[in-house]
Amino acid sequence: MGGLQKKKYESGSATNYITRNKARKKLSLSLADFRRLCILKGIYPHEPKHKKKVNKGSTAPRTFYLLKDIRFLLHEPIVGKFREYKIFVRKLRKAYGKAEWGGVERLKENKPVYKLDHIIKERYPTFIDAVRDVDDSLSMCFLFSTFARTGKCHVQTIQLCRRLSVEWMNYVISSRSLRKVFLSIKGIYYQAEVLGQTITWIIPYQFAHDHPTDVDYRVMATFTEFYTTLLGFVNFRLYQTLNLVYPPKLDGQGEINLKSEFEEDYALDSESYTEKLSALSASLARMVPSAEEEETELDHFPTEGEDQEKMEEREKMEHEQIKQKKFFEGLKFFLNREVPRESLAFVIRCFGGEVSWDKSLCIGSTYDAKDETITHHIVDRPSIDTQYINRYYIQPQWVYDSVNAKILLPVEEYFLGVTLPPHLSPFVEETEGDYVPPEKLKLMALQRGEKPQTEDEEEEEEEEEDEDEEEDDQSEEEEEAEDEANLAEIEEKRSRGKSLSVKVTPGKAKAENRKRAAEEEKAEEKRLAIMMMKKREKYLYDKIMFGKKRNVREANKLAAKRKAHDDASKEDKKKKKKKC
Amino acid sequence: MRLTHTISTAGFSSSSSSLTTPELHYCHLRAGGAIMAAARRNKRMAASQPGFLSFNSGLDGNSSDIKRRKRVNKNKKKNWNKYSDIQDVEEFLDDVRLQEKAAGGLIAEKPDATLFFVDTGEKDKETQPQTTVKKGKRSKPLRIDLILQPDSRIPAPKNVLAFQQPNAKKQRRMAEKAARLAAMGVLPRREKLLRLRQAAAASGLPVKENPVANNNPERAFYDLWSAGTPETDDPYYLEQTKKKLVKRPDRLNEKPSVLPAIEVVGPGGSYNPDFFSHQDLLREAHEVEVKKLRAEERLARQLAVKEDIATEESSFKEQVEGLIEEGDVEPEEPEGGSEDTVIGPTATQEKKTEKQRRKEKAQRIKALRRKADRQMIDKQQQLFQLRSIRANLKTQEQRTRQRQAQRKANQEAQKSMPRRLGRLKFQTPDLDVQLSHELAGSLRSLKPEGSILKDRFMSLQKRNLIEPRERAKFKRKYKVKYSEKRAFREIV
Repeated sequence: MGGLQKKKYESGSATNYITRNKARKKLSLSLADFRRLCILKGIYPHEPKHKKKVNKGSTAPRTFYLLKDIRFLLHEPIVGKFREYKIFVRKLRKAYGKAEWGGVERLKENKPVYKLDHIIKERYPTFIDAVRDVDDSLSMCFLFSTFARTGKCHVQTIQLCRRLSVEWMNYVISSRSLRKVFLSIKGIYYQAEVLGQTITWIIPYQFAHDHPTDVDYRVMATFTEFYTTLLGFVNFRLYQTLNLVYPPKLDGQGEINLKSEFEEDYALDSESYTEKLSALSASLARMVPSAEEEETELDHFPTEGEDQEKMEEREKMEHEQIKQKKFFEGLKFFLNREVPRESLAFVIRCFGGEVSWDKSLCIGSTYDAKDETITHHIVDRPSIDTQYINRYYIQPQWVYDSVNAKILLPVEEYFLGVTLPPHLSPFVEETEGDYVPPEKLKLMALQRGEKPQTEDEEEEEEEEEDEDEEEDDQSEEEEEAEDEANLAEIEEKRSRGKSLSVKVTPGKAKAENRKRAAEEEKAEEKRLAIMMMKKREKYLYDKIMFGKKRNVREANKLAAKRKAHDDASKEDKKKKKKKC
Repeated sequence: MRLTHTISTAGFSSSSSSLTTPELHYCHLRAGGAIMAAARRNKRMAASQPGFLSFNSGLDGNSSDIKRRKRVNKNKKKNWNKYSDIQDVEEFLDDVRLQEKAAGGLIAEKPDATLFFVDTGEKDKETQPQTTVKKGKRSKPLRIDLILQPDSRIPAPKNVLAFQQPNAKKQRRMAEKAARLAAMGVLPRREKLLRLRQAAAASGLPVKENPVANNNPERAFYDLWSAGTPETDDPYYLEQTKKKLVKRPDRLNEKPSVLPAIEVVGPGGSYNPDFFSHQDLLREAHEVEVKKLRAEERLARQLAVKEDIATEESSFKEQVEGLIEEGDVEPEEPEGGSEDTVIGPTATQEKKTEKQRRKEKAQRIKALRRKADRQMIDKQQQLFQLRSIRANLKTQEQRTRQRQAQRKANQEAQKSMPRRLGRLKFQTPDLDVQLSHELAGSLRSLKPEGSILKDRFMSLQKRNLIEPRERAKFKRKYKVKYSEKRAFREIV
C-alpha cells in the first residue's frame, strides 16, 4: 500500500475551529470591534472537545470560535460599517490635530452609523422569540437607566434606557400582567406574564450604586445597545397588541389630572411629558378609545360529560384570574415620601389601585394627603403625627405581600411600628413533603378562604402571644388529625378487651361512615398492590417512599426547631416585659 | 490781530517741517528724472503765476550761497541723479506740501473769505460768558487724544487692497466657464443635486435621511415582525449584488447554556427573610468559605518548609559521620574481580540443527491442535452453560446501559456548567449575604447588598456568552524615577 502520509492538523477538529486572533484577522477588525460584532450577532466562543488537537499540539489556553460561525460573520454588512467608523475616527483625529474646525464639523455630520434592525430580525425570526428573550434586556435597561450621568456610559444610552423601561412598565400596568414581586437584598425581582411567556427582571434599588471596577463597561454597553434595540421593537409590538398609542401618550383624563400649576419646578418643558409618563400614575391613550375594557368571555360550546366539567373549571379559573388582576381596584393609596415611590406606584397600578403622593415629591400626583377617600396610607417610619381615622396606616411590605398572595391580606400585622412578618419569596415553589414556613401555611390558608381564628383583642399585650399561638394552631392541625386516629385505635382495643365480659346491650344502628369506608377500601387496595409488586418495582417503590419519608422527617425537624425558636423568643420577650 | 495770528501759526509749522527729512530726500532721489522734471515744471508754473506766495522767505530771490557747481560728465544716468542740484525744487515742493497739509490747498489759490475775517471786536463780551461756563472735566478732550488727532488737511489715500478681490482672476475665469457651460445647457453639480432633491420632495417619496444613532433617546421604532414587506426585487439580482443577507444557521439560535437569564436569589435573600431560610443561606455561604479556607490551608501546608533544616552543627556531624569512631582504620577496597565482568549479551547462539527444528515444529503443531480441541470442547460445553452466559450478558448490558445513562446525565449537567473559554476559568462569585445583625427591619433602612451590574456581567460569563475576563493591568512603559526636591530635603 503506501501512499502519502497524512499530515497532522489538516482535517477534523483542527480545521473546524479557529482561534480568536485568527478570526479577528480574517475579518480585519480590531479586538474591540470583533468582540462587539460577536455580541451583536450572537456568536459565542466554543470549548472544543479535544483542545490539544484543535490548538495544533499546543496546550495554551485560547478562545476558539467555530470556523463556520466566522465565515457567517464575513457576510455581515455592519462589518463594513465598523471599518468605516475606524477611518472616520482617524480622519477626525487628523482634522482636530490640524485645527480644521470646518472639516471636523463636516466629518461629524457624516458620522457612519449602523443599524441593528436586521440583526434582531435575524436572531429573533418571530415576535414570540423576542418576547421569550426579553428578560436580559429588561434587566439591563432598568439597570442602565439608574446610572448616574458620570461618563461611565453615554448619557444618551441612559436616557434611552429610561425611556424604554418606562414604556415597559406602562405596558405591564395596562396589560395587568404582573405576577410576582420579591424584595431581595440585591434589588427588586418582578415577574410578569406577557403573551403566555413568563418574564422575570430585576430592578436595583434607587441610589444603590457604586460602580464596580472589575466589570468591562464596554462589553456591557454593547449588550445594552443590542438589548435597547430589541426592547424598543418588542415594546412597539406589545403596545400594538393592546391598541395603545406608541410612543405612549397619556389619555385625556390623565393629562387633565396631572396638570399642575408648578410644572416648571419639576422639569423642563421638554422633559415634563416623559416625567409624567414615568410617574406611572395615569393610564395611557388608546388608538381606539374603548369604553372600559370588556371582559372577554370564553366561547361556549355545547359539550357533554367530562368536557363540560373541565370547561366549567376553566371558566372558574378564568374568573378568578380576572378578579385577581384587579384586586386593588377601588382602593386609594397615598405614599409617604420615605417609601420607594416608583416601585410601589408600579405595583399598585398593576392591580388597579389608585395612587398618589406628595406634590413636592414627584410630578404626577393626583390627590394630596388630605383627601378623605384615601383608604391606605403607606408609611415607613415608626410613627406619624396626624392620622386620619378612616384610613389604614401600613408599611410598604403589605402591598408586596398582598400582591404575592393575590388577596388583600389582613392589615393588622403591617401597622406602623409593628414588627413585620417575614417577606417570603414568591419564587419558591414547595413540593410535597418540603418544609413550609408557618407564615406561608397561614398565607395558604388565607388564600383558600379560611378565616384565621378570631383574636381576642382585649389587650394589646396579649395580641402578640395570640398570634404566636395561632401559628402553632396551624402546625398542630395535622398532628390533631393523627391523634384522632390513634384515639380511635385505642378505643377499639379497649372495646375488644371489654368483649370478654359477656354483656348484651340493645343494638345501636351504627352510623356508617361511607366516606371513611371508601378511604379504607382505597388504602386496602394500595396495600394489596404493594404486595403484588415485582421485586424490582418494590425496591424502587421503597426507595421513593423512603425519600419522601426522609423529606417529611426533615420538615418535621425544622418545624420543631422553629417552634423551639419561637418559644424561646417568646420567653425572652416575657422576661423582658417583666423586667420592665 | 487775528490775521497775524493765523499766518504766524502757518509760519511756525512751516519752519518745523522745513527741515527735510532724510527719508523724503531719499524718496526724491529715487524718483529720479521724472520727479525732477515734474518739480521743474512746478517751479516754472509757480514762477509764471503772478500771485504765488511762498512760505519760506529764503526761497524767493537769488540765494547768495549757491555752491560752485562740480563738473561731471552728464553722459551717464548715474551722474544725472548724483550731481544734479534739486535742492530748490525740493524746498519748493515741501512748501507746497506743507501748505496743502495745513490749509488744504495752496494759500495763494484760496479765496480771501477763507483766510480773513473782519474783526468787529464787539462780540467778545457776548461770547465771554459762554466761554466762562465751566465745562466738566469730562467734556475736555484728553491731551493724548489731541496729539493723536491727524492735523493734516489732506485726506488719507485710499487703501488699494481693500478694493482688490483675492483670486479675482481665477474666479473670473470660473464664472466665464460656468457661463459658457450654461450657454451649452449644462448645469453645475450643486444645482443638479438641488433639482433632484426638489423633484423627490415633490413626488412625495420619503427623502433619505441621515440614519439615527442606535442610542438616540428619541429614535423611532416600528413593527419589525410585520408580515408585510415581501422582497420586491429579483432574488438573483440581490444575490449577485450582495444585497441579500445570508441565512442565519439554526445552530446559532441555540443558547450556549441552559441557565436562565435571571437567577432569582433564594428565599434567604429576602430583605426581611424567614428565620430558617436565612439560616440556610448563611450556612451555604459559610460552607463555601470553609471550603476556600481549607484549600488555602492545604496549599500553605504543602508549601511549608520542613522543620528539620540542616544547621551548621548537623551538617558537620553528617560530614564526619563514621570518621571519628573508627579513627585510623580505613576501609579496604576490594581489589580485582571487576575485570572479568562484561556488560551486555556476548554469547552468540549456536545454530540449530535440522532435527531440532523438526522437533520444535512438531511440538508447535501439537500445541495448536490441542488448543483447538480445547476450544471445540469448550464450545460444546457452553451449550450447557447457557443460563450463566445469559446472566452474564444481562449484567453486561445493564452495565452499559447504566454507563450510557450516566454519560447522558453528565452531558446534561455540562450544559449548565460554565465552559473554559479562554485563559481564565469562571470563578463563582461570592454569595451576597446579610448577616443577622445587618438585616434591616424596614424597607427604608435596607442597605442593598452586592452590585447588580456585576451580577449581570457574571451571569453573561456563566452562560458562556462571553469569556471570563479580568481587568487589564496597568503597565507602565517607563520606570518611575524618584528624586528628592530641594524644598523637601530642607524640611527633612
